[in-house]
Parts: sequence; structure tokens; C-alpha cells
Amino acid sequence: MKFKKVCALFLCAAMIGSLAACGSSGSSAPAETQAAGETEAAGEAAAPAGDASGTLTINIWDANQQAGIQEICDDWTALGNPKVQVEVINWDNYWTLLEAGASGGELADVFWMHSDYAQIYMENDILLDLTDYIAKDGIDMSIYYPDIAAIYTRSDGKIFALPKDHDTIALLYNKALFDEAGVEYPTNDWTYEDMYEAAKAITENTPDDTYGYALNTSNDQDGWYNYIYSYGGNVVNTEKTDTAIDGPEAKAAMEMVRKMLTVATPQAVVAESGTDSLFQSGKVGMITQGSWMINSFYTAENHADYAWAEIPYCDRNGDGQCQPEERQTCYNGLGWAAAANTDMPDAAASLIEYLCSEEAQVKQAELGVTMAGIPGISEAFANAFEGMDVSAFTQVETDGTLYARPGTRNSGVWQTPMKQAGGFLDAWQAPDDPEAMSAACDRVAQMIRDAIAAE
Amino acid sequence: MKEKRKMTAKEKNEAIWAYAFVAPTIIGLIVLNFYPAINTFWQSFFKTGDFGKGNTFVGLANYQKAFADPEIWQSLINTIKYAIIEVPLGVVIALILAVFLNRKLKGTSLFRTIFFLPMVCAPAAVAMVWKWLYNQQFGLFNNILHTNVAWISDPKIAWISVGIIGVWSIIGYNMVLFISGLQEIPGDYYEAAEIDGATGIRQFFDITVPLLSPTTFFIVQTRVIGALTIFDLMFMVMDKTNTALTKVESAVYVFYKYTFDQGNKGYGAAIVMILVVFIMIVTVIMQRAEKKFVFYN
Repeated sequence: MKFKKVCALFLCAAMIGSLAACGSSGSSAPAETQAAGETEAAGEAAAPAGDASGTLTINIWDANQQAGIQEICDDWTALGNPKVQVEVINWDNYWTLLEAGASGGELADVFWMHSDYAQIYMENDILLDLTDYIAKDGIDMSIYYPDIAAIYTRSDGKIFALPKDHDTIALLYNKALFDEAGVEYPTNDWTYEDMYEAAKAITENTPDDTYGYALNTSNDQDGWYNYIYSYGGNVVNTEKTDTAIDGPEAKAAMEMVRKMLTVATPQAVVAESGTDSLFQSGKVGMITQGSWMINSFYTAENHADYAWAEIPYCDRNGDGQCQPEERQTCYNGLGWAAAANTDMPDAAASLIEYLCSEEAQVKQAELGVTMAGIPGISEAFANAFEGMDVSAFTQVETDGTLYARPGTRNSGVWQTPMKQAGGFLDAWQAPDDPEAMSAACDRVAQMIRDAIAAE
Repeated sequence: MKEKRKMTAKEKNEAIWAYAFVAPTIIGLIVLNFYPAINTFWQSFFKTGDFGKGNTFVGLANYQKAFADPEIWQSLINTIKYAIIEVPLGVVIALILAVFLNRKLKGTSLFRTIFFLPMVCAPAAVAMVWKWLYNQQFGLFNNILHTNVAWISDPKIAWISVGIIGVWSIIGYNMVLFISGLQEIPGDYYEAAEIDGATGIRQFFDITVPLLSPTTFFIVQTRVIGALTIFDLMFMVMDKTNTALTKVESAVYVFYKYTFDQGNKGYGAAIVMILVVFIMIVTVIMQRAEKKFVFYN
């Protein structure tokens, strides 16, 4: 009897303890263990940063890009530099792992940085300061997209990452469903109203489980953000001090979103299957997607049916033509950063400079990995996918306006909750009620303002 | 043996070796469990800075915020609801299976292996498979039953659907424990009962159930604790934009959300401490109940 009791209490303690182990990644020892454990869980054996053999470890989160990036890194190795090993860790685990590594000390040598997280990492000196290397090697920062370079420059002017790429959004459609419903294919002259009419026609003229369009609250950068900016609103202003998501422009945009949702796949279905799976299963006629996703549609089973058009615009002044400010696509760019505590800072900085050189970025575009972080050299990207025209992603740079992905210092505090119940999700559930959408805009505005105030 | 006496040299030597042998485990527990546990408790009084630097002491503010947050209470209710499905069903089904598989039948070891298999699978993989079984549009369940049920998106049934995955995952483990418990019950009891004319069902309730109660208690206690700390099923099965999420997310899920999604470790620590206290209360109640219901011969 005693034994059982002791046993139960012991197990109780162990379980509580294992919970706590998650909670304390602020302390070094457990954080390291946790990092090691999670890497294994992700199926990637993490080599220690800069081990004896002189291999640089790179961490990225997009498996689609692994082969291309490895190839470019091998070019760098061929110039007489150390070997490079590229490891993929999926997006969700990537940041948990990186934070654990940053708190505990063990990080990959070189890794991707993202606008959502860059500021916190820079402020805490987790990243290697590249300013001196850039000055010494004469890197011209003005060649990069200014918004992207700005993401990775700290308020004191120090630079912690170089722009790796940029991405834009386009409209993806399934020709087979358009044919079935007898609707004409999307063109680059479409407004959101045209898109609505087409979506409605497809929804009505195809089987019950097939819809013209699908959009989830989580499709922000590649979805409803673009409505808001095309209609003249914003999610966070450029000074990052306020939001206009409850303003008349943004509300008009979200009203358009609501209208689209009345003819789109119901939210519950989208949340379970995801817009990409639904599209690839032939259940959805149109979705908007980012350039980083091209490869997964290019290699899909029915890729011959898929085609891209430029993202629709909002004819704000009613002249029947698209002015650049009426077609807005969110753009964002990753940065190549290194760990401040890497064993080989010189090699890491040199690799980053190589990866962000014009030569390597042209190759990156040619290989179809992503578009470049330098404007004007991504033409090759449009031709990288033989048999699939992806010029909509590069064309938008002349036909439209690129706006930087809205974010604040600690965006996670509002970015996820605004997509959930209490944010936009309630309005997504009841697309027939315009009041619900308008009220959701007000609530989300409050969330963003509260988050900014707490920063 | 009331009076204390000094250890002999041999005893001392033995004690030293004993400590040496338990040291690895003890050190492991201290470093991996006790230190983080204390650290978590400590953190719950702070507004934590980035990467564990620059913490500011805020006293009980995190706890006040947590107690006033309906989301925390809802998540505790969700956790209890999950436990109410997983523990009783997991125990009863496992017990029935164990009784059947404890007989001399052809192929018992094959069946035991089959029922135990879920324990061998990675929980994340299990959750992914169930997620697709439950899928409203493409899922196997809706296709076989010709229904259109939103198994994991309808707030009314999503918690049951998730609970069923938990039951499925744990049956094999419970069953193995029950089988070992069954084998400790002497066969004479059953023989005597048979001679007295007791039916199989009567034997089950009057011999098996009481004599198995220590094992049952052990399983119930460990499973209650396990169910109250559930996280992975909700995390893997439910998308963040799932409408039913607020009615299914467990306390540990909410802890994860605040700690890792929003970088608010102090608040996350406070949530976990509340959960720990709750689990301790439940454990104490169960220990009391043990005296009443469990039969040790």
C-alpha cells in the first residue's frame, strides 16, 4: 500500500516537473535539453554549431527551398570555404527552438530571420552584428528593398541580417472548375467585385461541396490584408503606433471580404482542411497565395489546371483603370542572420554576404527558390517554372504597390488572437451579418492598440 | 530499536555505494524536474523579459490576471471534461479487454500486441491520422457513415471527439497493467466460486473487481494526472482558427499559447502553478478515496 502511494506521488511529481521543464526555457540547462529533444522530434539531427570539422549549420523553415539553398551554399564552399549543412525545421517549431537556443546558448550558425521576430532578437543581441563586415567588404545596402533592409536594421543603425528575398501575392485559379462552371478565367484587370461575381458563379454552378473561393482568417498576408490596403486602409501604420483597421476604408474592405465569404467555402471546413488542400483537391476555384508557395502547386498532381493572375484591385476612384495604389500586395522578405555566439563569425558573415550577393540571388531566382531581396533581378524567377506562368508575382511590382507586412514589436500578442474567436473568427462564422464584421474590426483594432500600449 | 547507534565501517561503505548508485537518477531529477519546477514557481511572480533577461517582479499580478481571465477557467473546465471521457472509458474498456485476453485462447499475444500498438506510435502521428479520419469533407468517418458531421469543429461534440482519441491511445497501456493485476489473483477463488455455482458475470464483479482494485486505483490515479496535463492532442488536431478551440483547449494548451506564442512566460508560469495546485487537490482527494474503495488482501 505504501509502495503504491509513493509510486503515485512520485509520478505526480514527475509529471508536474516535466510540465515545468517546458516553462523554464529561461534557464540554461533545461533549455538546452529541450532544444535537443525538439530537434530530434522534428526529425533533424542538430549538429553542434560550428563543430570541429568546420561545418556551418544553417536552419531554415521551408523544405521547398532546401535543395536550392544547399546548391548555392555548395557554390560558396567551392570557393574554398567551409562546408555548409542546411537543416529544415517547420515554422512552429523553428521559433520555439530558436528561442530556446537563444536563451540557452546553442544556435545554428546561420539562420533565417523574419519580420515578426527580428526586433526582439536584435534588441537582445542574439544576432551577430554585421555592420563592420558590411563596411569592411563594401556591401552597398541601398541595392536591397528598403523596407526589407529596414526590418533588419536596429534603431541605432546596426545591421543584423541581409535581405534574402522578397515575396508577393497573386491569385491562383483552377481552370478546370472555371470551365465546368462556364466562367471566364481571371485576368490582370480584375477588381475584387469581378472576383466576387466569378466566385459566386462557380459556387452556384458546381457540386454542393465545391466553391469559387476560400479564405481563412489565418490567410492574412496572402489574403485579407491585401483587401484592406487596396481599399486604402491599414493594419498597423508605418510608425507602428496605431491601426486604421476600424477606419471606414478598412471596414469597406472587410465588408467586401464578408461578401466574398457568403459565396466561399465555410470557415469550419477551411479550418479543418486548409485552403491549399481544398484547392488541390479541386474543391475550390480560387485562392490567393504567396510566391513562396509556388513550388507546392507546381509539383501538385493537377498542376496543368492551375494558373496565376495578378491579385485583384479596388477601383477606388471609379475610373475603370488600375492605378498602382489601387492594387496592393503585401511583401515581406526574410533575412540571413548569424548567431552572435557562433564559433566561426567570419565564415558566417562571409556566407551571408555571399548568399545576399547579386550573383547568388540571381541564381536563387533562376532555381525558382524565391525572388531576390534586390529589386530588378527577379525576372529569371518568372521563367523558373517551366510550363507554369508565374509572371503575376513580378508584374505586380510595376502594376501595383508593395506594402511591407504590418507588424509591431511583439506581433504574436495580437496576430494570432485576432484570427481566433473574439477576433475575426466570429464574423467569419456568420458571413451574412455585416454588423458582425464591423464589430470584429472594432475589437481587433482594440487588440492591436492594447498590444502596442503594452510594448 | 529506539536508541541510535553508530554505523559500522561496513555499513558506511554500503551507504556510500548506495548513494553513488542512486546519484545519477537523483541528479537527473534535480536538474531536469525539481530545478525547473522551482524556477517556474519563481517566474510566476515576474513579468518576464525576452530570452529570460530583464525580469521585473510583479508580485501576484499574474495570478490576479489569471483568476480574472474566463479563458483560464474555461480551459480548466475543458481539461476536466477531457479527463471525464478519457479516464472512465479508458479504464472500463481496458478492463474488459484484459479479462478476455487473460484467458487461454489462441492468438492472445497477437491481440495483446494489437491493443498495445497505439502506445508505440508517436502521439503526434496518432493525432495527425485521427485529424484526417475526423475531417468533415474528406474524412473516413463521414465517408463510411454517409454523414456530414463536423467532428472536430462543432463545439458541442469536438471535446468528445478529442477525448475518444485519448481513450484509443491509452487502452493498450491500461490493459497491460490490468492483465498483470489479473495474474496476481489466485485461481482458487474462481474454482471455489464455480463450485458454488457463480456465473461468469458474478465472478467478475465479486472476485475480479475487488481483488483488482489496487491496480485500478493506480491506473485511475496516474491517468487522471495524465489527462489533466493533456496538450498534444488539442495542439495537433485543432487548427488555431478552429471555432471549437475555445471549448476544447486544455489548461496546458493555454499555458503553451501564452508562454511560447506570446512570449509571456511569467503569465504562463502562473497558469501552470494554478494547474499544479488543482492536480494536487485532486490527488489528495483520490488518496482519501483509496482508503474507502480499495481492497488490499
